[in-house]
Formats: sequence, C-alpha cells, structure tokens
Amino acid sequence: MIITSNLSKKYNDTTVLHIENLEIPKGQSFGLVGNNGAGKTTYFSLLLDLIQPTTGHIKNNDVLVHESEDWKPFTSSFIDESFLIGYLTAEEYFYFIGELRGQNKADVDALVAQFADFFHGEILNQKKYLRDLSKGNQKKAGIVAALIGNPEVIILDEPFANLDPTTQIRLKSIIKNLAEKQGVTVLISSHDLLHVTDVCERIVVLEKGEVVKDLATSTETLKELEAHFAGSEAV
Amino acid sequence: MIKHFIRLEWKQFFRASYFQKGIAIKILLVLAAIYFGAFAIGGGVAMFFIAEKAFPDLDPIVTINNFIIYWFLFEMVFRFFMQQLPVMNVKPLMTIPIKRNTVIHYLLGKTSVSFFNFLAIFLFLPFCVVLLVEGYAVLNVLCWFISIVFLTLSVNYLNFLINKNNTIFYIIAISLISLIGLEYYGIFAISKPIGVAFNALYNQPYLMIVPFMLVIGLYYVNFIYIRKGFYLDDAVSKKIKEVNATDLSWMDRFGNVAPFLKNDVKLIWRNARPKQVMMMSFLFLFYGLIFYTQDAYKEMPAFLAFASMFVTGGFLMSFGQLVPSWDSEYYKLLMSQNIPYRQYLESKWYLMVFAVSISFVLSIPYLYFGWKIFGMIAAGAIFNVGLNSFITLFGGALNRVPIELNVKAKAFSNTNGFNPTQMLIAMPKILLPIILFYIPYKFISFEAGLIAIALSGVLGIIFKNQIFTFIENIYQKGKYKTIAAFAEKS
Repeated sequence: MIITSNLSKKYNDTTVLHIENLEIPKGQSFGLVGNNGAGKTTYFSLLLDLIQPTTGHIKNNDVLVHESEDWKPFTSSFIDESFLIGYLTAEEYFYFIGELRGQNKADVDALVAQFADFFHGEILNQKKYLRDLSKGNQKKAGIVAALIGNPEVIILDEPFANLDPTTQIRLKSIIKNLAEKQGVTVLISSHDLLHVTDVCERIVVLEKGEVVKDLATSTETLKELEAHFAGSEAV
Repeated sequence: MIKHFIRLEWKQFFRASYFQKGIAIKILLVLAAIYFGAFAIGGGVAMFFIAEKAFPDLDPIVTINNFIIYWFLFEMVFRFFMQQLPVMNVKPLMTIPIKRNTVIHYLLGKTSVSFFNFLAIFLFLPFCVVLLVEGYAVLNVLCWFISIVFLTLSVNYLNFLINKNNTIFYIIAISLISLIGLEYYGIFAISKPIGVAFNALYNQPYLMIVPFMLVIGLYYVNFIYIRKGFYLDDAVSKKIKEVNATDLSWMDRFGNVAPFLKNDVKLIWRNARPKQVMMMSFLFLFYGLIFYTQDAYKEMPAFLAFASMFVTGGFLMSFGQLVPSWDSEYYKLLMSQNIPYRQYLESKWYLMVFAVSISFVLSIPYLYFGWKIFGMIAAGAIFNVGLNSFITLFGGALNRVPIELNVKAKAFSNTNGFNPTQMLIAMPKILLPIILFYIPYKFISFEAGLIAIALSGVLGIIFKNQIFTFIENIYQKGKYKTIAAFAEKS
C-alpha cells in the first residue's frame, strides 16, 4: 500500500529523516516509535505532502505523493490541532469533512453515532466551538473526523497523548477494529510503548531519522522495546 | 532588562518568515524608503522657499506655522490606518520576575523610534537648517524644532489611544469632523488660533514646556491604559459563548464550492478579526462621498474612476488580500484533505463577487450625483469582479502571514499591521482603473473610458478558467512555504 524508497529530508545539511526502504502492506496496523526528534512527525508530514522530500519518494497506493494529489481521496489523517477548524462545532466540522469526502449528512451521522461511547457525551450537542473544547476532547473530535468517508489509509500522530485512560482503551479497540475487520491501513506514532504493542501488528523504531528496528509484534516485543529505550540491548 | 528586550525583538524580527522574502522585494522596499526619505528632505528644504514665494509679505516661519496643523492632521490620519502599537509576546514574560511597568515602559518607548516619527524629523530638520542658514535666532529655531518633535510624539501616543479605545476614537473623530466642517463653511476658523499658537511657540521658546507636558500626559494615559489591560484574562479564563448554529444548507445550490462558502460565512460571522474587517469594508461604501462632492475632482475624472472602484471593492480588497491567511490556523488540514486548490480559490472568488454585488446594490443612492458617476461605479464593480478579484487572489499567494482569527487587532496580540508586500501588490489595483480610464478618455471620450474599465472586467470573467489555472499554479508552487510559515506561531 505504502512504499517508501530512498526517502530523506534535510534541513540545512542536517538529515532529519533517511529511510532507505519501507513497505507497509494494505490492512496493516503500523506503529512508529522513537524519541523526540527521531523523525516520526517528519515522516507523517512527508506522507501527507506537507513538506517536500529532499530525495526519494513515497508511493501511496501507486500514487507518487509529492507529484500527484490523487492519494487524497483515500487517505485521511489527524496530526495536531491545526487539523481542526476552531470556529466550527464538532458536528459542523464532521459535516464539513464529510462533504469534502463525498458523504452526506446521514452518512456522517451514522458513522459518528458509532462513536458515542468514545465521545463520552463530551463532543456532540455541546453548543461549543471546537476551539473552546479541552485538548483531549479536541483530539477525540479530530480522530473521529479522520475516520469519515471510508479512507483506506489513516494516519494518526500521537493519538493517545492527552486522552484520559478510558478513552485510550476505547481508542485502542477502534484502531484494532479498523485494521483487522475493515482492512484499513493504520499508521500511528506514539511514545507509549504499551499502547503501541497492544494495537500494532508491526512496530518500527526510528532513531535520529533512521529505521533501527522493524518488529512484528509478539509477546516479546514490549520487553525488547523497553530494553532498547532503556539503553541496553540485552533481551 | 531593556537590553534583553531589544535582543528578543531583534531575533523575532530577523527570524520571522516574512523577512525571508525574495531579494527583489527587499530591494524595492529599500528603494522606496530612500525615495520617500529623499522626498521628505527635499520637501523640508523647499518648504522655506515655497512659503516665501507664496506669501511674500509674511515671514516664511509664520506661514509654515499657520499651515502646520494640516501636517499634523495628515499625520494622524496616516498613522490611524498604518501604525499599530507594536506587538510583544507578553505571556512568557508574565511569570518571570520583571516588573510589569518595565515591560510597558519599554513597549511605549519603542514606539518613539518608529518610522512614522522620523517622517516629521526628515521634513522639519532640513527646514530648520535652512532657517538657521537664513539667520534666524538659534534658540527660537531649536526650541521650535523640539516642540515639533514633542508634538509628533504626542500624535504617536494619541494614535494608540484612538486605535485601542473606541470611545476616544469617536470623540476625536467627531470633534475633528465638526471643526473641519466649521472651518469649511467659514463659520469658525480653528486654524487661525492654532496658527497663532504655533507662532507663539516659535516666539516664546520657553513655551516648549507645553508640548512637553502634552507628551508626558499622553504617555501617562497610555501607560495606565495598557497597565489595566495587562492581564491575560482572555487566555486564562476563556469566556465561552454558546453557539447559535445557523442553517446554511440553502447554500448547497452553489455545488462544488458550497462547503467552502458555508465555512467562509461562518468564518466571518464567528471570528473577531474577519468581523472587524467586514465592518471596516462597509465604510468604503462612503468613499465616493469624499470625491464626488469636491469640485476639484470634476476636472479629473481619472481620480473619480479610482474612487468609484473603491465604493464596491471595500470587502474585496480588505478581505481578499488576506486570502490564504484566513485559513492559516487549519491550513494543514486543507492541504491534506480531499480538496482541489481550485475549488478553494473559487469559493473565495464567489464570496468576493457576492460582496461586490451587495455593495453595488447599496451604492444605488449615488444616482443622486448623476448617471455619469453611477456609470463609473457600475464600471468599477465590473472591474472588481473580473479583474481586481483575481489580482487580489494573486497577491494572496505572496502573503504568508498567519492570522489569529478570534483575536481582534489590538495591543499584545497578533497584529500584522503594516505589510509592505501588500502595499506593493495594492499598486496595480489602484493604478489600473486610472490608466484604463484615462487613456480612452483622453483620446476618445468619457464613455469610452467607462467601457474600457468595464471591458477589462468582462475579459477577466471570460478568461476566468485560464486565470484560475495560473493562480492555482502559483499557490501550488508556494504550498510548502506557506504551510511552514503558517505553522509558525507569532
């Protein structure tokens, strides 16, 4: 589904990302972990064509991301609050995204209704603009908006941060469901090793812009990751 | 402490993205600055001799003193539209041990070195040099000059009060308008006593104390005013207003661009900054009154053509010039969503066309000035729809200043007051209607001039698709730069 080859991003001679080759097959739940500055957000921004690659390219479903816009209809994402339109209510925001993705009001309502649990009564019918919601609630709205319109690829940057524990657990089941049952390719990044190993079939560790580990998740994975980030390689 | 502030300012200035502009624009700006500087200096020197020639039986200094009030009036208006109280990021300063007063003093002090104050110095310093060369008393000239500087600073501080406080604005505006009216209709000439006052200022050097007290007073009022507002109430305890959602589904008939149009309407309705711009643009409707009532302009229909364009183009220009910036807060979303750029731009265009149409309907009372004037307004409207709108959108592509939507342009918040690039882009908008009108008018007739203006607009509408493709390409090319600049929180 997503093929990355020879991709690099440099800012004034400093390489912040360099991925020789990375293939993410369709329907995989893919986790990206790494310390601050490892290049996670850079990679996601390149995937969304928000920044320009210095060399190489990403192919999303055979579409060259930085040359064509044809990846947009089947790709959706929530990276940070700048993906929200602050002066809309959550409903209006969902409908707006829906309209962009060719969904009518009824479609959007039906989809959003499935997430009543996840919203915990704090998003819909609040008569509040998104800018007036708390960080966590903003994130909930943003994540659900990324699910509108049956995307085939969903990119979520740090989806667990700022969420309360209950919501984190609910989000995990949502993401699992997407990949396992609906065949959606889900890419998430996180600092929380436990969550990532729970949710993702495959975990890639980035360090200073390079892929240093590429693991198929098993019962050992969490320990291995913890050992890696603790600084000792002994397993 | 002040040293630290200056260092911060320096960094903020040179590290901001708008500074990394093309070298060409920088050169143009420097040239413009030199040009205006030279102009002012030359004007200052010439002033003495012009005054001498115009009123041979009066001492030039007396003549200048009689008219100097107009300079200050001009300066006030100029500043009102151009100058903003400089912005300083106070939030991080509030929790570290710096006296609040120090910050405010610094902010106010900083404004005394603004370009606007140097304008007066550029003009009056050469004039004073000429006075000295001509053998006027050194003490008087020196004190007079210092008085002028004090008065300029007074205007400086007065302007901030006017800008920040509506009550003061209305008081000053009403008293100015009534004084000018009284003068104009010959009921009471306020300029006479003012002239006398300025002459007294020259003749009695010790009177310098009066403008000095004025500056101190205005500075103090500003200080109190800012001090009162020096709390981040907005940021700490947000006032949350209940939403009254309006049903805009009737706009769905606009097809592809409907979602954007609906969004733009909400954008304008629910955010302080665009609302402010809309209110301001309403004032443009009355622009014609200034020009159509003056006999002087009857002989210069080219200027009327320019004014007529403004009557219907207020919203178009003030809203349109900030086109991608309005969406700066969520630009990344727009860029990664399933949106062709063209639809986005087209929806903005429809919005502007809509605004021009409404302004045009509202301008029907101008029929009072006759069909010729109204014809000009109509031609101006067509020009606005077909050409000006595109120039404005084109200009937007070069504008990468992020806007905080729900923050009014006020002290301590994100104002992007004076943006030179926008001035440069504004030039063709202003000059084009004049040129388009003037050439056919000179060689053929008044009507031919009108037709030329209207035709340019019609041509723009005919070639709409091609023009959109062109503009779209420019936006596309600047995409990454724009995203990066908008991500920069100023």
